[in-house]
Amino acid sequence: MIRNGSQLYILLLFLLLPLPVLAGEISGYVEAKGFAYAERWSGRDSRGLGWGTLFTKWEEKLGETQLSASLRGEGITSGENGALDFDPADRKLRRSPVSVRDLWLRIPLNTTHDLQLGRFQLGWGKTDGYSPADAFLPRDLTDPFADEKLPLWALRLNGYGGTLRYEVVAAPVTTPWRLPPLGSRNAPLKVDALPAGTVFNEVESSPPGIGFAAVRLLSSFGDWELGGWGRAGVRPAPLLNFRVDQMTATSAGFSLPVERRYAMEEAAGIELSRIIGSWIVRGEGAALFSRDRDLGNALIGAVSVEKSFGDGTFLVTLAGNAISPPVDSAQLFDRAILPVIITAWNRTEEWGEWKLVWSAGLKHGDGMFKGEAGYNLSDTWKLTLGGELPYGSEEGAIGALQTARRVSVALRRSW
Amino acid sequence: MFFIRIVRHLWFHLALVFLLSIICTALSWASPDARAFLKESEQRHRTRTQQYAGELTVVNKDGKVRKKGWKSFREGYAGDARNLIRFVDPPEVKGVGFLSLAKPGGQNPDQWLYLPSMKRERRIAAQDRDSSFVGTDFSYEDMEEFDHEKYKVALQGEQTFESFPCYVIEAVPLEKKGKSVYGKLILYLRKDNLYLLREDLYRKGEKEPGKRMILSDLQQIGGHWVARKMEMTDLKKGSKTTVLLKEIVFDKPQPVSRFTLQNLNREGGE
Repeated sequence: MIRNGSQLYILLLFLLLPLPVLAGEISGYVEAKGFAYAERWSGRDSRGLGWGTLFTKWEEKLGETQLSASLRGEGITSGENGALDFDPADRKLRRSPVSVRDLWLRIPLNTTHDLQLGRFQLGWGKTDGYSPADAFLPRDLTDPFADEKLPLWALRLNGYGGTLRYEVVAAPVTTPWRLPPLGSRNAPLKVDALPAGTVFNEVESSPPGIGFAAVRLLSSFGDWELGGWGRAGVRPAPLLNFRVDQMTATSAGFSLPVERRYAMEEAAGIELSRIIGSWIVRGEGAALFSRDRDLGNALIGAVSVEKSFGDGTFLVTLAGNAISPPVDSAQLFDRAILPVIITAWNRTEEWGEWKLVWSAGLKHGDGMFKGEAGYNLSDTWKLTLGGELPYGSEEGAIGALQTARRVSVALRRSW
Repeated sequence: MFFIRIVRHLWFHLALVFLLSIICTALSWASPDARAFLKESEQRHRTRTQQYAGELTVVNKDGKVRKKGWKSFREGYAGDARNLIRFVDPPEVKGVGFLSLAKPGGQNPDQWLYLPSMKRERRIAAQDRDSSFVGTDFSYEDMEEFDHEKYKVALQGEQTFESFPCYVIEAVPLEKKGKSVYGKLILYLRKDNLYLLREDLYRKGEKEPGKRMILSDLQQIGGHWVARKMEMTDLKKGSKTTVLLKEIVFDKPQPVSRFTLQNLNREGGE
């Protein structure tokens, strides 16, 4: 099904037309991925899943100005696959098989200040595993274990003077978090007092037109790196509104409409890192203020320590929220896993690389083991094997994904 | 008579100065100073800036070959060097950036790595400097410019390497203000132009070199000697990384912001 097809074709033409005219750099990959699940969540979910991706990126330098555009086409053999749609800001419930990932210009205003505008991804914060500065940025949870960040339509001004760096970002449009189909094995919502077999009917909502604005300052003093940031605007993670009053009975059971709404939030935070002997210690603190009854305020802190052993890195991150949220934190997405301790070990080998991650939820005793090994068949071909094993209490956001235990294999050809 | 006495006096003094200078020269040749050679080498080969495109070939012990490419920019030299490296190939490391800024007083340089997947830089701790630099046989410490002032140096003798007579110099890290991965380095300095041809790198506590770097294919470009081929062999692992330097340019003024974190974080930038 193609909706707004003419707009989609215009967009594709816009991306493809410059290619013969300008001699930019083209890169990309094609990947085939297969998942095998340990069990079925319901009759709708199969034990296997296939995922094919074609990604291409075009980069061009026009004098000192940088232009980047990328396009992704994909197919998923399940309900996560949305309709072919014109969705330039990823605001629809499901991901479109064709989407724009980058479309931005970076214009140097002078030697020390840049202006970037268009659709691009941000990376904030100091701590790995969980960063309060980065966590609120929108994710696509279609694959709940992938931690895929969504790009934003935004304007960014950044620069430096002496040791001080600054970054000002204004996102005029909200790009919301994308959730897996509610009630599937990737989002097994538990709502008290609902009859068994209730099906969630997700209502396509229109996220707010405005986004957020943020300022970030960073500086280095010897072994110290210090930073501070502030932001205000729409929080991209939705708040779910279960319309029990509109629940209807069908021949298959009950159907419960679920709406989404988006709260305003202001936040300020600090970040620092320091080299102490052979360790790098990083820390972040953030205070988040909201007048929304279901979101409330938050005081989030994260500390991580990192040490290298030869070609490997060992990382431990501890993160938590000092204020209990008014609703089940699993429904708050960007702070669902808190408090958590994340331990990660990765290493580069001659044949490729591997990583092991253990995430342990400290509130419900749930957690997950994750492993991945990538074997470089050549400079352009790569085979990756992986697996995720959530465990523990299903009350926790991670343990609730137990029926999504899986192993995967992926073959990628890059250019 | 008076005039003759003055001339004799002058001749006597000139002869004395001449004799003394011969003795000094002879003494200096009799006990050559490694520090003086290294200083002279730095003076001869110092350039304000250097940039090149590197073609890397990494061959592991089983003979499996992987290719990489980077662009390298340097400003300053040795103890005041600032370096930026940006990978251009293969796709999995394209855009990865490395920034190294020398610090005064023999301290280890500040180093950062930019990973496009994270969209932000990561600082490298001094102790991480033994890690492989983006899958090559170079470590982060190997990516630093050699600065003789950070080492206690001693001339060990002379040897011929690749048919070139060389001074062989032992360099032991002083570690006054920064740790080193290595216990000592053995440098082979070509006698005629004082260019480094070979470096044996001994990890701490080891009697055999763990790595060996060989510089070859010396050419003069823009009035400067430069080795167009660098080979780093990991003698323990049996792997080798070869860097072929292309598009070499010396003393080209670099943009003010080239060696900054701002620039390191510029996706698609140089």
